[in-house]
Amino acid sequence: MTDVHHIQVPLWYLPLLVLIPAAVAAGVVPWLGRRARTRVVPEKDPDWSIPPLADSHGQGISLIHRWDVRCKIVTMLAYSFAIASLRHLSAAAAALCVSLVVLLAAKVSFHKVLLRVFALAGFLGMLLVVMPLTVPVHPGDTILVFGSLDWLNVNLRGVVLAATIAAKAMAIALLMEPLLSTAPLPVTLHGLSRLGVPDMAGQMVLLSYRYLHVFTHEARRMTAGMQARGFEKKTNMATLRALANFLGMIFVRSFERTERVFDAMQARGYNGRFPDPGHLQIQWLDILQTGVWVAAGTALVLFDYVKV
Amino acid sequence: MGDRPADRHTTSTFHGTNVSRSHGACPEPGGLAPLFCVQNLWYAYPDGIQALSGVDLDILPGDRMALVGQNGSGKTTLIKLLSGLLAPAQGTVCFKGRALTGDHLDESRLGIGVLFQDPDDQLFGHTVMDDVAFGPGNQGKSRKTAILYARQALHQVNLEHLAYKEPHNLSYGQKKRAALAGILAMQPGVLILDEPTANLDPGQEAVFLDLLKGFAGTLICISHDLIFLYELCEKAVVLHKGGIHHKYTMRELVSRRSSLRDHGLDFSFRLCTPANGVHAHEEDKKNGSETRSNEYAKILAEPSAHPSLVRLEKYRYVYPDGTPGLQDFSLDIHEGEKMAIVGENGAGKSTLLACLCGLRQGRGTLFFGGTPVTRKRYKNLWRRVGLVFQDCADQLFCASVQEEMLFGLRRLGLSSDECRHRAADTLARVGLAGFENRVPLHLSGGERKRLALGCVLAMDPDLLILDEPTAGLDPRGEELLMAILETFDKTLLLVSHDLFFIEKLTHRTLVMHQGRVIGDLPTPVFMQDDKLCNLNGLSFSYRQRTTTAIQKLQHEHEHRHPHLHIHDHPHHHGRTVHTHPHEHLHDHPHRFVHTHPGGQKNHDHANRLVHDHAHPGHDAEPHDHSHE
Repeated sequence: MTDVHHIQVPLWYLPLLVLIPAAVAAGVVPWLGRRARTRVVPEKDPDWSIPPLADSHGQGISLIHRWDVRCKIVTMLAYSFAIASLRHLSAAAAALCVSLVVLLAAKVSFHKVLLRVFALAGFLGMLLVVMPLTVPVHPGDTILVFGSLDWLNVNLRGVVLAATIAAKAMAIALLMEPLLSTAPLPVTLHGLSRLGVPDMAGQMVLLSYRYLHVFTHEARRMTAGMQARGFEKKTNMATLRALANFLGMIFVRSFERTERVFDAMQARGYNGRFPDPGHLQIQWLDILQTGVWVAAGTALVLFDYVKV
Repeated sequence: MGDRPADRHTTSTFHGTNVSRSHGACPEPGGLAPLFCVQNLWYAYPDGIQALSGVDLDILPGDRMALVGQNGSGKTTLIKLLSGLLAPAQGTVCFKGRALTGDHLDESRLGIGVLFQDPDDQLFGHTVMDDVAFGPGNQGKSRKTAILYARQALHQVNLEHLAYKEPHNLSYGQKKRAALAGILAMQPGVLILDEPTANLDPGQEAVFLDLLKGFAGTLICISHDLIFLYELCEKAVVLHKGGIHHKYTMRELVSRRSSLRDHGLDFSFRLCTPANGVHAHEEDKKNGSETRSNEYAKILAEPSAHPSLVRLEKYRYVYPDGTPGLQDFSLDIHEGEKMAIVGENGAGKSTLLACLCGLRQGRGTLFFGGTPVTRKRYKNLWRRVGLVFQDCADQLFCASVQEEMLFGLRRLGLSSDECRHRAADTLARVGLAGFENRVPLHLSGGERKRLALGCVLAMDPDLLILDEPTAGLDPRGEELLMAILETFDKTLLLVSHDLFFIEKLTHRTLVMHQGRVIGDLPTPVFMQDDKLCNLNGLSFSYRQRTTTAIQKLQHEHEHRHPHLHIHDHPHHHGRTVHTHPHEHLHDHPHRFVHTHPGGQKNHDHANRLVHDHAHPGHDAEPHDHSHE
């Protein structure tokens, strides 16, 4: 058992090591948020007469697009578990690199990737700040002590641990974009259904995705209606009452819409199942791709194991 | 799909008499088996509302039938029962000779297309293609064949280029057409439509009309818009309080003003618009146009009496995604002006309204009441600008009408007494006195629109903005709304595709296109400018033609000529008072409905010698004919 190493660093290192990265993060995260929320209208409207995930020859635009959706779901989920099991920063960093390469290969939307990164950034940033200061001190740990600030101990093991978790989380999150954006949602849900997930769950996801937008628009219009008559959020009973009415009305309207949607579905012959969005067939290329992924996952796990 | 036997329908089976068909009489006179046979149909909703009571109706193959009636008369319930979405509480609905239940219902649904009012209810697919192929898929067609059918249907509605777009990224008109494509792809023999053109601009309405005219199967259409239905349908069934009141031919229905009025369907007040090219009220039209032109000229000539209320200078608004909403927009609205804004969908009208009432803030200069609107003042624009939304359900969210009225008033900081006083006054003004405890969500469309207007009027705005106020209203609702707005004496900004309302209520019209002003002229001048109308998708040729035809049917004016009356009323002969039918010849002026040769041609009524019309005081007149 080895002792804890304390490294005394001058106080002026503090801004260099903590405050400057924090300030950079404070600047970068809102920028990411703005970029993620800003949608840029493409100069040329896409050709909507063909499926957006296919080129003019009806083939996918990347290998991952062409991959059978069932193989893709199973393989990527298994690969994600493999990443989650890594314990070393170097292995996690390697997994992150693989995810970035996959992102580039899959040619997915940079904007959507940014949205995912932004969603994670706050949580991971907090982890990076808090963990070095809070992890329990174990024998062999290295502690940085800034000048005479004895109460401010930065545990380097905490830094590495937080970085490892962040790298693994980011590596998995980045893979979700190639997993979900390289096939139309109905096809992905059809694949899930073929893998044994109940049909009803898939249909609920599909309808929720569609009507989330409708309810969002409805809520925005109702908010505008309230603002046009002077509604302003304050900490008082009037605001609470108005918000309760607003939520109640949204709920009632949503409930009534679900009934109308069900009527419309029944009127077009819905009998509990959506028509299959296409025929799924596993080809040799799909098995080959699966094999490559399995190999990559195994290599990462072995690399991580060897590091021990 | 069968061919439509256009001349199969005779007025002998459909005429202006109250319905009294005996139950169980399925076969139609002439031997043709009805496609739908509705017998003694009753339906009540779980909350106890009796929606239909004792409905009997036969619909023949190839019929083109309009279902009309006031809001709440049971039209939508009837089509839900016809399409098997509701089960009758009592009575039967037969389709092709068999009751709509069990397997027959499942099979029948695949041949009956129902288009609902709100396209968002019907577009539940991930993309337009997924949605349109949904029906053919349920019909058992392979994915490839379903897509083929879907493509054909999308081609019909001119949306093939948007086949793989997500429905929530379509405009309202595109959604409505996509929903229709979803029905057409199933190649139904029966098409049932619920308010197919509600909230559509005239350009989109024309697309719908062409498609529906070309539909070869049986057509059942609910609409308040009889001008739209006139050429589309041949029969009309009038529903009232859950029962069928009349079965007419369409021509008979539109020519019977008294019957239309009884059922809140009298749209005749619309028939005198100058835009329709009909000259029956040539004098009125000329006088009205001159008056409105004079009003506009007066406002411009007297800037001290009518100072600028709103002024925009080089105003720009760009949406977060980079789409330009307003571009270098300049506008001056004077106090007391009545102004209309027209333009195609996406021209920037709604963006402008949102900027004017402080919901959006663009770049450029905005003056309100002569003072520049700063960021802080933007937040307070609602105190002086009232906005009534196109879909008024978006601005009604309280649990009662009274709460709804008080919501804005309380935010103005008025005392409780003042709030209640204003609310009561305004409710009376919009014809909703006594509705205080009603739930806004349960009001009819017209009542909700008037409530939304009342909520805004109660706040006494300097500028009242109305966004498509007539959308979804029945003719009675429109007439009431018109009456309320005619009494509004402050500045009015009306965004509408409805040329009749524009002509009646405004004296200045602003034409917008792609976020810019391309025309700013007196309303009477705009009305005569066909180029501007067409540029903005305000193609009214169908409406003009139909209106002219209806007006000829409804033609009514005063004549003085000898004619016969057939009376049955008490009358005096000396001291004797008695009643019996009798006839005698008169020569006195009276009004009656008759067809007209058109234009300014002279016409006589010698061939209409017997007239049935009101004859006040006649029973007290001396009678010179003999009595048995």
